[in-house]
Amino acid sequence: MPQHSHVRGAGILAACLLGTWLVWNARAEDTPGFNEARTRMVELDIARTGWAREGVKDERVLKAMRAVLRHEFVPESDRGEAYADRPLPIGHGQTISQPYIVAYMTEMLQLKPEHTVLEIGTGSGYQAAVLAEIVAKVYSIEIVKPLAERAAETLKKQGYETVEVKHGDGYFGWPEHAPFDAIIVTAAASHIPPPLVEQLKPGGRMAIPVGPPLQTQNLILVEKLEDGALRRRSVMPVRFVPLTRSKAEAE
Amino acid sequence: MTGRSSAVPGLAVALLGAVGIAYQIVLMRMLSIGQWHHFAYMVISVAMLGFGASGALLALFRGRLAGRERTLLWWGALALSTALPASYALSQQVPFEAFELATQPVQMLHLFTLYLILSAPFFLVSTCMTCAFLLAPRSVGALYAWNMAGSGAGALLAVGLLYVAAPSDWPVLGALTGMSAAAWLLLGFDGRAVPVRRPVAGCLVLAPALALLLAAWTPLRLSQYKGLSYVLDFPDAEIVARRFSPLSTVTAVRSGLIRETPGEITAYPMSELGPLPEQIGLFFDAGSVSPIHRFEGDFGAFAFLDYVTGTVAYRLVEAPDTLVIGPGGGTDVWAALYHGARHVTAVEVDPAAAGLVASRFSDFAGGLYQRPDVTLVVAEGRGYLQSHERHYDLIQVPLFGSFTAAASGVHALNESYLYTVEAFRLFYRRLTPGGVFVVTSWLKSPPRDAIKVFATAAEALRREGIDEPGKHLVMIRSLNSATLVVSKAVLTDADVAAVRVFCQARSFDPCYFPGILEEETNRHIELSEGAVYYDAAQALVSDQAEDFYRNYLFYVRPATDARPYFFRFFKWTSLPRLVRGMGVAWAPFVEWGYVALVATILQAGIASAVFILAPLLVLGRAPAARGLKRWVVLYFGLLGLAYMFLEIVFMQRFMLFLAYPVYSVAVVLTSFLFFSGLGSCAAGRLTGHAARNVAVAVAGIAAVAAVYLAVLGPVFDALAGFPDAAKIALSVVGLGPLAFCMGIPFPLGLQAATNRSDALLPWAWGINGCASVLGATLATVSSVHLGFPAVVMLALTCYGLAALAIRPMVRRERPGFGAGANAAVS
Repeated sequence: MPQHSHVRGAGILAACLLGTWLVWNARAEDTPGFNEARTRMVELDIARTGWAREGVKDERVLKAMRAVLRHEFVPESDRGEAYADRPLPIGHGQTISQPYIVAYMTEMLQLKPEHTVLEIGTGSGYQAAVLAEIVAKVYSIEIVKPLAERAAETLKKQGYETVEVKHGDGYFGWPEHAPFDAIIVTAAASHIPPPLVEQLKPGGRMAIPVGPPLQTQNLILVEKLEDGALRRRSVMPVRFVPLTRSKAEAE
Repeated sequence: MTGRSSAVPGLAVALLGAVGIAYQIVLMRMLSIGQWHHFAYMVISVAMLGFGASGALLALFRGRLAGRERTLLWWGALALSTALPASYALSQQVPFEAFELATQPVQMLHLFTLYLILSAPFFLVSTCMTCAFLLAPRSVGALYAWNMAGSGAGALLAVGLLYVAAPSDWPVLGALTGMSAAAWLLLGFDGRAVPVRRPVAGCLVLAPALALLLAAWTPLRLSQYKGLSYVLDFPDAEIVARRFSPLSTVTAVRSGLIRETPGEITAYPMSELGPLPEQIGLFFDAGSVSPIHRFEGDFGAFAFLDYVTGTVAYRLVEAPDTLVIGPGGGTDVWAALYHGARHVTAVEVDPAAAGLVASRFSDFAGGLYQRPDVTLVVAEGRGYLQSHERHYDLIQVPLFGSFTAAASGVHALNESYLYTVEAFRLFYRRLTPGGVFVVTSWLKSPPRDAIKVFATAAEALRREGIDEPGKHLVMIRSLNSATLVVSKAVLTDADVAAVRVFCQARSFDPCYFPGILEEETNRHIELSEGAVYYDAAQALVSDQAEDFYRNYLFYVRPATDARPYFFRFFKWTSLPRLVRGMGVAWAPFVEWGYVALVATILQAGIASAVFILAPLLVLGRAPAARGLKRWVVLYFGLLGLAYMFLEIVFMQRFMLFLAYPVYSVAVVLTSFLFFSGLGSCAAGRLTGHAARNVAVAVAGIAAVAAVYLAVLGPVFDALAGFPDAAKIALSVVGLGPLAFCMGIPFPLGLQAATNRSDALLPWAWGINGCASVLGATLATVSSVHLGFPAVVMLALTCYGLAALAIRPMVRRERPGFGAGANAAVS
């Protein structure tokens, strides 16, 4: 899962301050500190409409964001920053997305409790956990094998029994479990993979960043109309902030 | 090792001259691969910095140098043979990322460091050359000839080497190091005493060898934003071949994750029609990618090509005789064959790409170029069309660059002669009565590329005498690409109906066709801005075009041969709107190439101030004739600017004619150096009033430049079919008269200044160096904004003013100062 950063002007300052505060806090306290930090993150960074960005309104999504222990999905060394609104490296050249983007993309899908969702790019497993808080079943595919294994383990440990993770190439989706009510792609693609479109139910929605790797992409909402026609809408620009990836890390 | 009369081996001087030029050319290619093409012009500026700093320092310390020229020359040549590979190895350690210039201030520092490291060899070349001339004042003419012959040979050699290896590979670096080491050895073994003891000398031989070893081990550092960097991170990525040409280094990569399509294929029913054929990605200069598709006899494998915007053209012509310009890996050729083209002529400019598809991966590609219905031509597309009278039913103009490159505005400074009004007129004229030509572009947000393509077509049609261009145009778009179709004949109702059906079936949106309604647009791919493409097209086919150009957020006026920067979209006047609309942090990403250019100019200014001006200010003696300094500064500053303006403009202009940027750079550099050198020599023999002589030379420059401006276009058209060698020879000779005249003012001014006070000499050198460093970068921005004719006029104005500025410098004439030292700079 690549690293996204939504540019949010003044919000950055708040996030930095919060991040610093959190580092302090996390060292000083354990779970109660994280709880508080999470609540603050949802209020300040996700639900609030800021400069040049739309706050997330969907109560189900906000509830899920409050419920998932993000610090369990980031490397031990970065736990202090788990609730800062920014992406964090998770190894293998991949990152855990910025919480705001996770929430925003989840909201785009207009999920209902009975939905089945396909996720491409499991990464840390955090997005899958957020989805699992809302819907009945989540299928998630990750191309980096160690990541897929680790995410499956973390999800299990966190009690997310409705998430199924597999190692594989997400381009071809997961036809055995298709069609899906919603599909969320958390890796930049140069084009929308046709198999994913095919595996989307009529009336279904897909959120996918389309654009060149490591640069600006457009976050696209794909809607499959009841007659099968496709509607695409660019909802916001997203950008990778590239980490200094070493080849060894990226394997 | 003493004595000004000691001879300097001509061959050594030739070798040093060759290294100076060859390294510039090789460096340009290196920067194109590791970073991007437009840093190529930075190389000229880098070289000028080395030359300028050396000139200023030598002039400052002339007194102390006297009698030690030979030692300095010897050490300089040794240092060069070590510094050349070492500067390469060192420069690759600088973590410069051009993309981050706008967001990370530290990148400016990295760029500055690069500037310095890369200019070191040029500093040494210039130092050696000046010492050689100082050593043998009586044989300056002969040495000069050696230098020129060497430079010419160096240009040829560099181009030749680029056919066999990548610019950063050891054969290239080894050849350059070897030449400088040979020069050094020649200087040491010419029968005179070597300035060090033999054992020490023996150890010194090791220095270049070790540096070269280090360089050979240092791979070229690719920007992590380049397509190749990204793909090589795929778990199964494997480089399967590399080919070289002076145009590009082509890297063929195999990976199951490479899935390149010429646009969005969202509506493609993959489970029904099958997956994409296996691909080998061809990466050009590690950037843009073009795939070779595996073909095993079943055309059905290419059904996906019927789901991109570009194939709308095949709804308008049947079994067309097709011309594909720039086929790369062959996608457009397969699209043509899939759609039943009668015959396909594939015109590929890059011999490396053609070779890979035609031979190395011929089996993989199912013998694409061996098919009887496909003809491969290795030539530049526009030149080929210009020189062949054949007409086609369909002409495919390539998608420029890759999605990656297009989205970031990285090509903002690339000359692209395929996307000018003149090129579009040529495509139009080469169509059969029912023919069409097709241009597909990648889309950006906010919209600009496709709008400029449309504007270019509308303008081209108008200039072809068509009053209602709208009747010949269709444009449709997908999420990430837009296709423009230009029809030779007026489009019929049946044509329009076919386009409508195609768009509906593929979930594409029409942007324009004759009789389009606004509600037909912006349906499948909703733009938050509204029906921008529709509105733009309506304005561009009407008489509102001028207003539209003025008011649009981006610069979408069509590119012309005089200003062939299709990918320049940035408008200073739009900056406030951009920042308001996108946020401060976003705005730079909108036109990234531009940010890099501004950064380069800043660097050039800082570097020349620090390394040329500062030593002058700190160390320079105050000249006896105080009032004179400002005229010297003015005169040599103007000359430096004017010279670089003309040199860069002609490099850019000759790219159209010579097809390969490297050819153009090599030809113009060599020709300017050679003929300016002749001009400088001739200047030394001129008698009469210096100011008058300068005025005559400037008049000559103006006259020749004016003739060039008027005739170059038609001459290029007429000679387009000539073989490369003939084109190169004609270009070198053709530039001669201009370069000859341009070589005259510098030595005349130098003589005039030193006649008044020796302390003026460092200033003359230094200011000229500074102006040249800046001029090289300013010339690029001026061409982009003002166009070539305006830059030429600017250069001529500088020359005109210089002719006035020399007047106060000339009062008492005193013969003496030779033209030799000028050789290193001009």
